Amino acid sequence: MAAVTHQAQAIEVGGSRAVEAASDHELLAAIRDGDEVAFQEIVRRYRNPITNFVYRMLDDYDRSVELAQETFIRVYTSASRYQANYSFSTYIYRIATNLAISELRRRKRRKTVSLFSPFTNDDGEAIEIDPPDLNLLQDETLIQDERRRAVARAITSLPQKYRAAIVLRDVEGLSYDQIAETLRLSEGTVKSRINRARNLLKEKLSAYI
Amino acid sequence: MSCKYIQKRIDEADKPDLLPFDVSEHIGVCVDCQRFATERTALRALVAAGSRVTAPMNFDAVLKARLAEVKTRRSFWWLGSPALLRLGAATAGVVVAVFVVQFTGLFSNKVETPERSLLSEAAPRPVPGPFVNPPAPPPLITTAKTQPDHGNSRPSRLRRSGIPVESALPASFMTAEDGGVVLLRGRNGDMDVQMPTVSVGAQPLLYVTAGQRTTRTVGTSF
Repeated sequence: MAAVTHQAQAIEVGGSRAVEAASDHELLAAIRDGDEVAFQEIVRRYRNPITNFVYRMLDDYDRSVELAQETFIRVYTSASRYQANYSFSTYIYRIATNLAISELRRRKRRKTVSLFSPFTNDDGEAIEIDPPDLNLLQDETLIQDERRRAVARAITSLPQKYRAAIVLRDVEGLSYDQIAETLRLSEGTVKSRINRARNLLKEKLSAYI
Repeated sequence: MSCKYIQKRIDEADKPDLLPFDVSEHIGVCVDCQRFATERTALRALVAAGSRVTAPMNFDAVLKARLAEVKTRRSFWWLGSPALLRLGAATAGVVVAVFVVQFTGLFSNKVETPERSLLSEAAPRPVPGPFVNPPAPPPLITTAKTQPDHGNSRPSRLRRSGIPVESALPASFMTAEDGGVVLLRGRNGDMDVQMPTVSVGAQPLLYVTAGQRTTRTVGTSF
């Protein structure tokens, strides 16, 4: 801990270049000492990945931005309790994951109905309404856009426990042990969930594979 | 190696196009595993290929504002502390209790009897030595029912059990309902005059004639 504090003091002396070169742990130590520049650097490094991750979980951009900001606020307010036992990315993804899961649970209680899947079958699973588009294909951009929307719908239709794992793995590119630490699961459970999530996605996106 | 084991390793590979040599060797000879590897590679590329969203331009500014709000809220954290809330509730309870006691006392219809009032007022007062009668006598200043002391030869206001009349008569002694006795000093000595009951809103006018020791109401003023 003393070494980390010493590094935080070195960041203050070194200026902005030192802040950019500092590791996440050093920045957290500086934030703990009230360094606003270090916090800005942490925000600069993680604002896009966190926003993208939450967006992939929720498929709601405005809410994703709000939750990403809430993630950084929690990082700032709990910097004194941060323990450098594992990587900071795991730590911040865990906060974001918890916020996203809380939001999903809140939405589930509100019984929101997707315009694309307003009906369910006997097993309670959503039935996708995919009306055929009889118009001619216009250009590759529209095709990619449609493919992207289909992927987003497929991911958001996954059960919550599979969704976080597959997004962290295939969208954010985290390793299995990082995902296990983020979700506080065993590595075997993470592998199992990712495998099941991919099998479900393969069924939903068979037209695009 | 079984196909199940190979497919598990394909699924767990960090990069689907960079498989271990033994897995690649098996894929070369197994059609099912080859198809599985191709599907997994396409699926992972499809999921990862979705356009990444980025934070909006005002992300930092909004975050800064929200953080300032949180800091302000945290600086007043003690306002929401349970101990402070309990203390505030107790203080408010005491204040309300005091107010209620005073309020009910102001508008109470309970009439304090003069005897009790006189005793309670006179008892704790330090009395000069020559005027002290060791056993506390009954109060001599009473309501209108008490007969006046006509045979007293000493015209002194301190004659009644040594207690000065002014100090022995509390403000609440003469109530409108009780009436009372008024000491009138004259040339021939003192005279206790029985006062009629004062009605609320109307003040009786007294007419005292010489030699008479009673009063009569001759009129009412408002």
